[in-house]
Amino acid sequence: MSAASYQKAWDQLPETLRVARAGAWKQFVAKGFPSKREEDWRYTDLSALNDARFAEATETSIVATTLQNWQSLVFANGQRQNGEVRAFETPLADDGITALNAALTRDGLDLRVARKQKAEPLHLLCLNSAAAMTHLRHRVVLEAGSEATLLIDTRGDDSATLATGVLEVEIGANARLRLLRIQDGGQASTDLFRSQIRVGRDARLEYVGLDLGGALVRHDLNVQLCEPGAYAEVHGVFAPGGSTHVDTHTRILHQAPHTTSREVFRGLVADRAHAVFNGRIVVEKAAQKTDSEQKLASLLLSPGAEINAKPELEIYADDVKCAHGATCGQLDEMALYYLRSRGLDSDTARNLLLFAFAHEVLAKVGAEDARREMERRLANRLPGSTAYEDLI
Amino acid sequence: MAATQEMQDMVKARKYEAGFITDVESESAPPGLSEDTIRLISVKKNEPEWLLAFRLKAYQRWLKMTEPTWAHVHYPKIDYQAISYYSAPKSMKDRPKSLDEVDPKLLETYKKLGIPLREQEMLAGVQNVAVDVVFDSVSVGTTFRATLKKAGVIFSSISEAVHEHPELVKKYLGSVVPFGDNYYAALNSAVFTDGSFVFVPKGVRCPMELSTYFRINERNTGQFERTIIICEEGAHVSYLEGCTAPQRDENQLHAAVVELVALDDATIKYSTVQNWYPGDEEGRGGIYNFVTKRGDCRGPRSKISWTQVETGSAITWKYPSCILRGDDSVGEFYSVALTNNRQQADTGTKMIHVGKNTRSTIISKGISAGRGEQSYRGLVRVLASAENARNYTQCDSLLIGSESGAHTFPYTEVRNRSAKLEHEATTSKIGEDQLYYARSRGLSAEDAVSMIVNGFCKDVFKELPMEFAVEAQKLLQVSLEGAVG
Repeated sequence: MSAASYQKAWDQLPETLRVARAGAWKQFVAKGFPSKREEDWRYTDLSALNDARFAEATETSIVATTLQNWQSLVFANGQRQNGEVRAFETPLADDGITALNAALTRDGLDLRVARKQKAEPLHLLCLNSAAAMTHLRHRVVLEAGSEATLLIDTRGDDSATLATGVLEVEIGANARLRLLRIQDGGQASTDLFRSQIRVGRDARLEYVGLDLGGALVRHDLNVQLCEPGAYAEVHGVFAPGGSTHVDTHTRILHQAPHTTSREVFRGLVADRAHAVFNGRIVVEKAAQKTDSEQKLASLLLSPGAEINAKPELEIYADDVKCAHGATCGQLDEMALYYLRSRGLDSDTARNLLLFAFAHEVLAKVGAEDARREMERRLANRLPGSTAYEDLI
Repeated sequence: MAATQEMQDMVKARKYEAGFITDVESESAPPGLSEDTIRLISVKKNEPEWLLAFRLKAYQRWLKMTEPTWAHVHYPKIDYQAISYYSAPKSMKDRPKSLDEVDPKLLETYKKLGIPLREQEMLAGVQNVAVDVVFDSVSVGTTFRATLKKAGVIFSSISEAVHEHPELVKKYLGSVVPFGDNYYAALNSAVFTDGSFVFVPKGVRCPMELSTYFRINERNTGQFERTIIICEEGAHVSYLEGCTAPQRDENQLHAAVVELVALDDATIKYSTVQNWYPGDEEGRGGIYNFVTKRGDCRGPRSKISWTQVETGSAITWKYPSCILRGDDSVGEFYSVALTNNRQQADTGTKMIHVGKNTRSTIISKGISAGRGEQSYRGLVRVLASAENARNYTQCDSLLIGSESGAHTFPYTEVRNRSAKLEHEATTSKIGEDQLYYARSRGLSAEDAVSMIVNGFCKDVFKELPMEFAVEAQKLLQVSLEGAVG
């Protein structure tokens, strides 16, 4: 692979890091980026990354504010703007992308919530700009009985940035994590994000994501329900427009008895955008009494839009309840007609319906200020730019 | 007596006509696959040059291909050189002399299915009655043929069709499933030995349901069948494949290809009840059923409907598909698949929407019992040209026993915004309350399960021709035996 930019970034790492991460680098060089021939990547082509070049990270020009009353941590082109650089053991890697991230990462969020503590909500803001390359690696550990709310918010300018991110989460017994994610890295950005979440005994994960697209956006969201009583809600909205590409792969692994998962995704695919959704639910032999539901509904808004969806069930236990559903269609003409007959112009009527369609998911965000932020960001993306205030 | 003699002569004559071999022992090909084997098959069947060329082309392609491994099934590697590619009927010497020599378990099953004794003997391949039965079906076959001929329908073995209607075979062979389509299709194209050929001319509604069961050479078609069904403008045919009784066939690999072509306003209904030998409780033996079935709705308003009941085979790998090319064409797929003991099935369908206002329906019911593994794998693809395409998919799985597995891999690819697609899937075990209710009304556990399973499959069974539906229900019951308790 003629990966000049990656080689250069590797060469610039301090000697000690290069020694510690030689394995990960070797793995990346050997494997490279996954190819379209792999089943998990059949709709997402990373080959352009092989020869892509990226600029040195510099100060960012993006102006963005964090949520009021929330703790905040800001990374600008991978550079921490507040607090101490996190410490690393050897980061895990299991494919070319995570290996690249493991080799090159310098920093990331390291959050640990002690037993029975409730952490302040945290807004993690990652600003990617000026065609730079960033590799962040975050870790969140919730000890037994603790609680936390985290919003991971990625923004970018119009340049061709590359961001790889890995989030490793451990939710201890009876703990509860509200995890929110906004992906808004700009039309030309490439964002490869991996979430690896383990949910413990009677613990709870509530995830809601909003993907607004980029040249190439991929989120691999892996949730392991490892102990009895573990519960996961995994919801999301993807709304790519222009000629962007958003690929969401969720894998929910039921490993223990009496585990429950709920998954609702909504897609709005506009212009010439391409959306990919792969929702996989695996019920292992030990996971009797699993209860799992998955629903995907998507709308194609223009003639050039495309969606590839695959909800998968893999079941090795017998006493289970599993259901999934996927639909693809258009806005209801009758509903549009009704709204127009009440005096709304056609853009507002459409946007109202689109917003309401996506809002079924966004309404699940418990933290109100975060929800408003997500709603506002989605409203900005709707065609005809109806003001958010008019939609609410 | 004289009439019998006449008929027997006819049997002999017909056998000869169909290109069948009388002296089995000396005429079968040794195991192994090479160009020579293919030439041998071609010579034996007295085939024209173009067909040999087709076979050789397919063989060359096959050599370059690798065996697919993406299906959710596990089996030891197949040694393609250990298979005999020209398997004529089993020699008379090896056949059981009477029903007493036949595996009693098999006979018990026949009895449960309500198959008459004479048919039982035929199915078990008992020597001295075989001729009688063949004789029976010859007479049946001939009456049928007369009626069909009057209507203008061609229904024959593909070997016969190659000689009698070469222009039709040449035109349609490989036009739906190209010789290099996939590994098993390429293998089939190289070595196929027989199969059915159906041609229904313009405006004709086939006067009866066609079934392979009534074609005399069915028993001998071997592992690599090739079936072609063509319906011209406005024509209509219903075709039944397979036979509802279990066949003890020791052949390991069964790689068939079925091609359907429906022109303007034509309708083809293709029903299968597949019950090849599934192997024993421990998964020893059994058929590998790797089949490529595809229908091409070429004309506007054409319709192709697949109905399958899959209860046999150790491993099934089968995706009957529809290419909806003509505007307003319709594709349907109704399936019941049952895996028990150590059976594995990876089955489903593909609906490719090309024309405007095309519609497809997929109803798939999977039952997994014992240590059975079952996957539904489907693709619904809506191309940019397919305005107003519509698809409805429902796939449900029923799990019986904690060692069984059920999986769903539905792909949807949509490139036209006017498309409407719905997909639903559920997996559950038989409800305790349902069972309890049925038991409280005096049904045994086994009857209760069988009743619930039949209800679960009703949406598919109602698509089958009536006699088939009855037998399919019984078959399901028999196949599920021992799974409950």
